[in-house]
Amino acid sequence: MDSLIDLTPELWVATYETLYIVGFSLFFGGLGGLLLGIGLYTTRAGSILGNSAVFSTLNIIVNIFRPIPFIIFLAAAQPLARAVTGTGIGNSAIIFTLSLAAAFGISRIVEQNLLTVQPGVIEAARSVGAGRLRIILTILIPEALGPLILGYTFIFVALVDMSAVAGYVGGGGLGNFAIQYGYRQFNPWVTWAAVIVIILLVQAVQLLGNVLARKALRR
Amino acid sequence: MPLISLQGVTKSFPPGRRGDAPVHAIDNVSLDIEAGEIYGIIGYSGAGKSTLVRLINALEKASSGTIIVDGQQVTNVPDRQLRKLRLDIGMIFQQFNLFNAKTVWNNVAYPLRVAGKSRDEIQARVTELLDFVGLADKASNYPEQLSGGQKQRVGIARALATSPKILLADEATSALDPETTHEVLRLLRRVNEELGITIVVITHEMDVIQTLATKVAVMDSGRIVEQGDVFDVFSNPREASSQRFVSTVVRGIPSPDELAVLQERHTGRIVTFSFRDGDSSQASVFLELAAAGVEFELIYGGINDIRGRAFGHLTLALTGPDGAVDAALTGLSGRITVKELS
Repeated sequence: MDSLIDLTPELWVATYETLYIVGFSLFFGGLGGLLLGIGLYTTRAGSILGNSAVFSTLNIIVNIFRPIPFIIFLAAAQPLARAVTGTGIGNSAIIFTLSLAAAFGISRIVEQNLLTVQPGVIEAARSVGAGRLRIILTILIPEALGPLILGYTFIFVALVDMSAVAGYVGGGGLGNFAIQYGYRQFNPWVTWAAVIVIILLVQAVQLLGNVLARKALRR
Repeated sequence: MPLISLQGVTKSFPPGRRGDAPVHAIDNVSLDIEAGEIYGIIGYSGAGKSTLVRLINALEKASSGTIIVDGQQVTNVPDRQLRKLRLDIGMIFQQFNLFNAKTVWNNVAYPLRVAGKSRDEIQARVTELLDFVGLADKASNYPEQLSGGQKQRVGIARALATSPKILLADEATSALDPETTHEVLRLLRRVNEELGITIVVITHEMDVIQTLATKVAVMDSGRIVEQGDVFDVFSNPREASSQRFVSTVVRGIPSPDELAVLQERHTGRIVTFSFRDGDSSQASVFLELAAAGVEFELIYGGINDIRGRAFGHLTLALTGPDGAVDAALTGLSGRITVKELS
C-alpha cells in the first residue's frame, strides 16, 4: 500500500501514456478503418461501386490480418514499424502497429454499421442525381452515425486492452505499469490500482460514446 | 414525340447459380408515354414493374433496346450525364426512403444542393414545396416523427424539388392505409394537373389505376400483355391477367360458383348486359324489355365510373314467354353486349 503511494506519479504518467497511445491509434486506425470499411461496403456486389475483384481482395486482406493476436502482430510487424517510424521500440512504434492492427478490426465494424443503412435511402440519393462521393459523405455516414459512434467506443475499449502489451516492446502505459511495478514486485495493490484506473477510463469513454450516439440517433 | 419511349427493351440479371439461364426481368418491352399523362403500370410482385420504372431514370441499366427520355438517349451514356438527367426525373418509393438523419427541410433541400442551387434559391424553393404538400409546420421535424402519409408527402416534395418533368411513383401508396392512400393520390393528381408533371405509377392495386391513371399497361412475367386507355382496359380487358386485375375493382360477370348460387335463388333465364359509354342507355333497354312483356330482376353487377365515363355489367333474371325473351334479346344485342349465362 505504501509503495503504491510512492508510485502515484508513475501511475499518472502511465495513465497519460495509455491515453496517448490509444488516442493516436484510435485516430490513425480509425481513419484507416473507416476508409477500408467504406471500401468493403461500396465494392460489395450491388453497392454503389460494386466490384467483386476489389471486394474480394480487401476481404481477404482483412481476414488475413484481423485474427492475428496483437502481441504476435507487434513482433511480426516490427521491421515495418522501424521502416515507417524509424524505431522498432517505444510508444511511436506501438502507435504505428496498433493503428495498423486496429484498422483491420475497425473496417469490419464500419462495414457492418454501413450495411444497416437501408439500400432504398441510397437509391433515393442516386435518383436525385447525387454522385458516389457525395452519397458516401452526405448520406451513408450521417445515416449510420449513431451505430458508428458506438462502434468506435467499442474500439476504444479494445485499444486499451491491446495497448496493455506495449511494455513488451519498450512502450509505457497502464499495462506496463501493472506488470512492472505490480506483478513483478509482488505488489497486488499496484496492479489493482491500474485496474481501477482502466475501469474508470472505460466507463467515462463509454458514457461519452452513449451520449453522442443518443444525440446522433435522437433517442 | 412521346416524352418517354422504350423500344424493345430487355433487362436480364445473371442467374443465381452458375449454369442457369439468365433471368429476364424485362422481356422485349415497348412503351410510349406522352407528356402530361398519368401512366399506370400494374402487375403482381415479380412481374418486373419496379425494374421497368428504374430503367427510365437509369437506376438500372437495360441489357438491350433503346430508352429515350425527353429526347435524350438514356442507355449507354456516361454517369455524369445520367446524374444531370436524373434532376429532370423525380422518384418516390413504397418505403418513402427519406434521409432519416436529416430534417424534413433538409430532405427536400438535398436535391437542390446536389443541383448546385444557391442558398436563396433553396430557401425559396423548399418553402414553396412544403407549402404545396401541406407540411410547412413540419420543416424542422425528423422523418421518424411523421406518419406514413406525411412521410410520402415529404418524399413527393423531395422528388419535385428540382422541378422535374417526370415523376416516377414506385408503389407509392402500398405501405399506406386506404384513407392515406387517397390523400396521397389526390396530391399526385394535383402534381399532374397544377404542375403539368408526367407521372408513371407502378402499382399492384387496380384501385390506384382507377382513381389516378389515364393510360395503363398490364405487366406479367416481364412482358406488357395489354396497354391502352384506362377506360378501354377496364371496360373490356382482353388478356387473362388484365381480367383478373379488373375483377378486383369491377364487379362484373358472376364467376361459375356465384352463378350456381344465383341459379338456385332465381327462376328464369340469366343474362348479362354489358354497357359502355356511348351504348344505348339503360333506361331504353329496360323500357324495351318491359314493352316486350319480359319481367326482369337485377341480380348481380354494377356500374363504374372512370373520369366521367360509365361502364358496367348488369346480370338480370328474365322471366316471360320464351319467344318474347328471345325476340327482346335479339333486338338488344345489336346495341349492347348481351351474354346469356347457363
